[in-house]
Amino acid sequence: MLWYKAWLETRSRFLTCLATLTIFCAVFVGHAQELIRPEWTADCNRLLFVTQQFVVIMWILGVVLLGMGGIVREKAIGTSSLTLSLPVSRARLLGVRAGVGVLEAIALGVVPWTTIFLVSSLARMPVLISQVGFYVLLLVGGGLAYFAMAVLVSSLVEGEYTAPAVAFGVVLLTAIAFDAWLRPFNLWRLVTGDYYIDRHTYLLSGHFPWLGTFASLSVAGLMLLASVKVIQSREF
Amino acid sequence: MTNTTVILTRDLAKSYGSVAAVHGLNLSVEPNRITAFLGQNGAGKSTTIKMLLGMVRPSCGEGTVLGKRITDAEENCQMRRKVAYVAENKPLYGYMTVEQTIRFASSFYPDWRADVARRLFNEYKLPPQQKVQSLSKGMRTKLALLLAFARHPELLILDEPSEGLDPVGIEHLLQTLVAQSAEGVTIFFSSHQIAEVERVADHVCILDNGRLLVNASLDQLRQSYRRIDLVFASAPPEREFRITGVEKIQTKGHQMSVFASRNAEAVIERAHDLDAVSVEVAPVGLREIFLETVKEN
Repeated sequence: MLWYKAWLETRSRFLTCLATLTIFCAVFVGHAQELIRPEWTADCNRLLFVTQQFVVIMWILGVVLLGMGGIVREKAIGTSSLTLSLPVSRARLLGVRAGVGVLEAIALGVVPWTTIFLVSSLARMPVLISQVGFYVLLLVGGGLAYFAMAVLVSSLVEGEYTAPAVAFGVVLLTAIAFDAWLRPFNLWRLVTGDYYIDRHTYLLSGHFPWLGTFASLSVAGLMLLASVKVIQSREF
Repeated sequence: MTNTTVILTRDLAKSYGSVAAVHGLNLSVEPNRITAFLGQNGAGKSTTIKMLLGMVRPSCGEGTVLGKRITDAEENCQMRRKVAYVAENKPLYGYMTVEQTIRFASSFYPDWRADVARRLFNEYKLPPQQKVQSLSKGMRTKLALLLAFARHPELLILDEPSEGLDPVGIEHLLQTLVAQSAEGVTIFFSSHQIAEVERVADHVCILDNGRLLVNASLDQLRQSYRRIDLVFASAPPEREFRITGVEKIQTKGHQMSVFASRNAEAVIERAHDLDAVSVEVAPVGLREIFLETVKEN
């Protein structure tokens, strides 16, 4: 039932984000089909690349919001003593919350891109399913670090509005800082596919960036482990 | 249900910076009893309860609840399977409906008593489909109590359980507490309503400024505490009455009032020896015991 609790806690945020992303993608691609002729394959792929840039922004906003919550927020609103009196370890509480969040984050990546694929197919635009898979994998595999960061921030920072403000601040600052000084390691550019797209065909050039994705997932895992440690050491 | 000491603490303490919330607490709660935990606001009652449940780490000292160490996360988790806790603010998830809340809570406890839950649900007239956030304070309290009682715990910890209830609800609560105790549940509850405590408690602990001042059965308190009003022909010899067990002496003209936690017989004997004109001994209620104890501290 902890899964159910986590779902009830996040469902309005999740469904709002999912609806916004899906409608945006459908409208964006649907509108774009009027401008692009089917035979312009490269332009079609370019459109997908541009779409991915917008999807990434909205997806990150969504997963950061989904990462908020947990017993530190419950402390702020006064329900932590109910949760902590349950015969459940704090690690499990956080694990279930993170599990539900990850599934929702995956859905936030898969559903809009599936919509894009379906809308494009209906409009007879030559969209490669492999390209769609590539964007989804980049989004979820690379981007889960943003979700984990949000979980870590929500474990450290109390306050219903302070935690999301700090988390969005961290997203913005890391994007700027990495772009300025550690450009090859900029997660944002990994997730958008910026480094791996051929600028003529707008298709994936070379192999999928498994190493970068694995590194990003590892960082996400470490941040979730750190969150568990923080939650275990906190007093309520 | 259990025959060993249910709650046992040794030198348990908690400090927040330089502020000591609880000082060297040596508490023991015996099984199958209703133990009341009294204290003013900020006395350290909630901090003590939170330490017992593993929400707050003690600064020093140790304790066990149902034989499980409170500082060991795993043992504490096992202990919470057998403990029901209703916190002071009756926390419940506002986004759940009443029905969802009951279903959610029941999933964690194999001993969940569906019959008790159903009976209380009907008695409390709870609206099943209403969101918890839209319930009145009294209804929230009732729902929180339902979750605790239906859990069929070995130990029930209640922090201000009657807060927010109307007189009918309070009466029902007190009766339920007695019934639960009769079924073998140990009850440990904090309250500011001394009349309620006097009605149901077997044992009383009084905490003040983080120190345990009284830890005795209610019968014991009623038998040992006395107020002795004395009248003398001349100024009362106050110093003569400063003996063991005398907690407080008040003098006004030729009258003297002695508040004794024990040894009342010695006070009476001394009054007769000192030719008191009048000696009146009156039993003391829990309210007075509490007020005098915390005032003295």
